[in-house]
Amino acid sequence: MLVIIRSAPNTTEGKRGVTLAERMGADIVLLQNGAYFAQKDNLENFSGSAFVLADDKKLRGLAAGDLEERVKNIDYGGLIDLMARSDKVLGMF
Amino acid sequence: MEHIAMILRKPPYGDINAAEAVRHALGGVSGEFKVSLIMTDGGALLAKKGQDETGTGFTNLGAALKDCIDMDVEVLVEQSSLMENNISEGDIVDGVRVASIDEIAQLLKKADSTMIF
Amino acid sequence: MGKTFTLFVSTSPYSYENTETAVRIADSALNKGHTVNLIASADGVYCFLKGQKAKGILNAEEEFSQLITKGLKVYL
Repeated sequence: MLVIIRSAPNTTEGKRGVTLAERMGADIVLLQNGAYFAQKDNLENFSGSAFVLADDKKLRGLAAGDLEERVKNIDYGGLIDLMARSDKVLGMF
Repeated sequence: MEHIAMILRKPPYGDINAAEAVRHALGGVSGEFKVSLIMTDGGALLAKKGQDETGTGFTNLGAALKDCIDMDVEVLVEQSSLMENNISEGDIVDGVRVASIDEIAQLLKKADSTMIF
Repeated sequence: MGKTFTLFVSTSPYSYENTETAVRIADSALNKGHTVNLIASADGVYCFLKGQKAKGILNAEEEFSQLITKGLKVYL
């Protein structure tokens, strides 16, 4: 299962998306303002796999040194493959 | 000269507010107003260095913020908002000044009008 | 075997990043041979108005028109 998060870490929507994903054992994709979740320390309460859309991260000036290493970069093609592989896609929060 | 304070509270790109704030700030200085652009809360993320719009349909808002500074818009970012958004003071666009909330409060009291984005 | 992606767009074209996200997802899915539906509801229908003049931001009319020729199915 995949949860897509488009809202920033300091929003109720963003927090709700990550919490729900954690409870469901789902993976998350971070895009739009959700890309800021890839910053260090913003995903402390999430243990699943996390992916960030590279274009949206780059647009916001988020460089490798700013980011949590376990968050993997994907492009739109990678996102489509992840969505196609998932039994369910939930979002966008 | 009339002084307009503009406050941006939202992160760039996710919605149009940051682009609108920058556009109105540039419009204001061109129209011979004194403009202060104040970034608070998620808006502080607009100050982050290194924004790269390559391959997207967007205008680079970090570069537009630099244009504001070059055109003599007073550009301020609220100190605790930077911290809340994990942005260090060394990682902000050159010419953006870090200001305390008290300093911003005084500025807003003095400004002739305020626009909020 | 291609899958079906159905996108739901409910926001106006130039106030949010959703337009760009929907365009890129639809384009990428179509390129990979998937079927893509887009349902526009509420202010999302404004993405499909004729005569849009947006510059400096993705022009929704142009982008969605191209996607429709690539096979995107749009329901208002």
